Amino acid sequence: MSAMVAARAAILKKLGAGTGVSGGAAPSELIPRDYIRRGSLDPDARVAKMIERLREYDAEVTECTPDGLAAEIAAQLARSGRKTFVVPSRLPPEWLAAGYNWKIDGDLATEEVESCDGVLTGCFCGVADSGTIVLHHSAAQGRRLISLLPDWHLCVLRASQIVETLPEYFDRCIQIPALVTWISGPSATADIEMTRIKGVHGPRFLNVIVVKEQGPGTRD
Amino acid sequence: MRVSLFITCYNDTLFPETGRAVVALLERLGVELDFKPRQTCCGQMHANTGFRAEAYSQAKRFVRLYQDAENVVIPSSSCVAMIRDQYAGLFEELGNEQLRSEFRSLAPRVYELSEFLIDKQGVEDVGAYFPHRVTYHASCHGLRGLNLGDRPFRLLGKVRGMELVPLANLERCCGFGGTFSVKNGDVSSAMLAVKLEDVMETGAEFCTALDNSCLMHLGGAMHRQFAGMKTMHMAEILASTEQTPVEVLG
Amino acid sequence: MSHGQQPILDPVLAPPFPQAALPMLRDSQLRKNVAHATDVIQAKRARLVAEKPDWQALRSAAARIKDEALENLGAYLEQFEEQCTARGGVVHWAADAAEARAIILGILREENASEVIKIKTMTSAEIQLNPHLDAAGVKVFETDLAEIILQLGELEPSHIVAPALHVNRSQVREIFARTMGLSDLTDDPHALTAAARHYLRRKFLEVPTAISGANFLIAETGAVAIVESEGNGRMCLTLPRTLITLAGIEKVVPRYSDLEVMLQVLARSATGERMNPYTSLWTGVTPGDGPTRFHVVLLDNGRSAIRLSERERQTLRCIRCGACMNACPVYRQTGGHAYGSIYPGPIGAILTPQLTGLKHAQSLPFASSLCGVCYEVCPVKINIPEILIDLRAQVTDQERGKAARFFDPMYLGMRVANLLFSRAWLFHAAQWKARIVLRIFTRKDGWIHSLPGIGAKWTQTRDLRGLPKQPFHSWWKQRKQASR
Repeated sequence: MSAMVAARAAILKKLGAGTGVSGGAAPSELIPRDYIRRGSLDPDARVAKMIERLREYDAEVTECTPDGLAAEIAAQLARSGRKTFVVPSRLPPEWLAAGYNWKIDGDLATEEVESCDGVLTGCFCGVADSGTIVLHHSAAQGRRLISLLPDWHLCVLRASQIVETLPEYFDRCIQIPALVTWISGPSATADIEMTRIKGVHGPRFLNVIVVKEQGPGTRD
Repeated sequence: MRVSLFITCYNDTLFPETGRAVVALLERLGVELDFKPRQTCCGQMHANTGFRAEAYSQAKRFVRLYQDAENVVIPSSSCVAMIRDQYAGLFEELGNEQLRSEFRSLAPRVYELSEFLIDKQGVEDVGAYFPHRVTYHASCHGLRGLNLGDRPFRLLGKVRGMELVPLANLERCCGFGGTFSVKNGDVSSAMLAVKLEDVMETGAEFCTALDNSCLMHLGGAMHRQFAGMKTMHMAEILASTEQTPVEVLG
Repeated sequence: MSHGQQPILDPVLAPPFPQAALPMLRDSQLRKNVAHATDVIQAKRARLVAEKPDWQALRSAAARIKDEALENLGAYLEQFEEQCTARGGVVHWAADAAEARAIILGILREENASEVIKIKTMTSAEIQLNPHLDAAGVKVFETDLAEIILQLGELEPSHIVAPALHVNRSQVREIFARTMGLSDLTDDPHALTAAARHYLRRKFLEVPTAISGANFLIAETGAVAIVESEGNGRMCLTLPRTLITLAGIEKVVPRYSDLEVMLQVLARSATGERMNPYTSLWTGVTPGDGPTRFHVVLLDNGRSAIRLSERERQTLRCIRCGACMNACPVYRQTGGHAYGSIYPGPIGAILTPQLTGLKHAQSLPFASSLCGVCYEVCPVKINIPEILIDLRAQVTDQERGKAARFFDPMYLGMRVANLLFSRAWLFHAAQWKARIVLRIFTRKDGWIHSLPGIGAKWTQTRDLRGLPKQPFHSWWKQRKQASR
């Protein structure tokens, strides 16, 4: 252990650091921030772009109204032909359509999650520029494990959760999350002759339901 | 307009016809030309091979020599890039404040040939006539170091009788790289082979550029392979007219 | 591979670049594979950069963010350590490769780990971790498809983002069929990928210890971020009980929100995507979600020394995107193995020698034609050509004092040339003399076809036109006199 303490001291000394904690460093204002921070699309165009980008990486996207969400979820579940689904602990109960084997995660064993055909979650945000779905792994989005092991991920994304640019996502993080997964495509590799193959590890199929509020809808 | 011509060490020795062409071209455009006989080298070869002290002494000599020149024109984009990119650093490290100040005063007056014609002389049509099929190779120093942009094309576009054929993978390095061509001769040759494929594909009679360094590398391989194409510095094309067609050397 | 030699990716042992490059240049399959792969990524990158009107602004911001982190690296590392530790992580400091290996092995011993699953990390190759773990009886399972190909095929990586870029599908088929016992395996990339997926699935679920690298360390929160495409990263980061993250100290960025810039430039530069499929970020230990034990090993190994140089510090901005080598016309012909280092291409040519304190890999700064395209594509604006030239000067300064170099043709020649350039009359006399000497080599057609010594490297593939009778300066003088 003392060898490590010595290494730490030696490295910090070489870096000219004091013993202070926290960066008392140059403020962030010195960074030239001339890049695009805010999007310019109106809400409908923003949603359209998100959907377009999702479809570009072969995610299946359907739309519905808030009232029609439960039905749309049921429809997607039926079309998937799958039976056993894992879900986070705090999904709205009406999302859990009847006739399926629902495993509610809090502390499921890995093998049990592995045996599920699919997973249903909400999300924190969608970034339209890159078609990215952002999970903060809250109680409505689930532990990281459950959106990783099953082969099919059904994700509910509200239009009000969609931003255009990546900087706008960071603006939305009033509290910095401890765990984040940014999903921008099904797992893929291009390691063999640059041929893009989908579905190495992680879900091979991503379905997204975009919930478009009509008129003054409820915001998350 | 008074211009002092810096011919460059390798043009002086290996490609005097390029210098003659620059003289013919600029005098035709009404430029009052002079040539300082004491000139030798800008220091690029030494700088890029790691001989910094030597590069500095040549750089200093250059700056002192051209202190009073109204304009300096150089038919070699790599030499101009050397002056613009590296002189300040050399003088910062090895020179003194007076030298740095002399350089700052001189730098805006140094032009690569196409820069001089377009930016300073304000011409695109230099009255050239060259009835041949030609392709243009964009030397890396001109392309990225000097950001010549479309200047060469604007000049070539006005040459009467000439057919300009675009070169595929225009921005790819030919592999000359100065002493790299011998220190890493094998890699240089491989890059040359790849570049030559694209050049030959154009079916042009001549491959032109603003740097004889790239051209001696490409042209040297063309000659070795009996490829049926020749290289020619753009100054010679621009100098060529109906009355005085350019000399085409073996 | 067809040239039959195992490349040495150790700067201490590797042959000089010109020597290492030659067999690569003769491997036409390799050149074809590399050209194809780099063309694909370059085209994708170019398309996405063209659609981004603020690309240059992003580059400027990214460079400045990294510079800020590097200028105050000690303070930011301390902040990272404080934050990570507060969240249940254990932060270790390793001055060099040996210390890093010892720390990692120590943790594995504590865990009684006989197996580890690994996410691809070049840093682990830099410290030669795998062979040492093997020797200590720990079985290492690489989980990146490229790394599996290399591990099972006993091959060396040749690119920092696509390490198996030099291997084609039939070569992969041969490796998998042989090592996984799949005699019916075809060379269809889908089948090959499925084989890898199957091979790894149990490992992910069963091996309790994982080793990762890091793309970014966030000082503000003590978080670590990893970008990937396949999902093996997510597997290794969430399933095991213990996670060890090895990271070079230069991976630090100051704030979480700095990722809004870094992620935009990284994916476009590395794989030509707006965003890579999966990016994961975690902070210390989160009870109930993921590993219960988390270690970060901060690695110096020469980085703090590089940082001391004002001009060379920008080397450490590198975010390991690989764009420079994808664009490099030299790399295109030689592939990565010629560089004799885990870090090849333009960044390797400046990083590798500097990490050794310029004691080794001295030929690498010369392995470039200085075309500048690397600087053009670098998302953090590292002026690689400028550093290459500076390193050439440093290496030359180191060497020229040695007695052995005094009569070395290159050194002698350069000193003589400088003397000749110092006086016009000397230069002119030398021209005259050279013309006479070269007349011996000049054939009837006025061209030189063969030269001795270093000149032979020119004439091996190029002719040289014989020196004209009258240099330009003589012509000018004559003309001037005639006009009087």
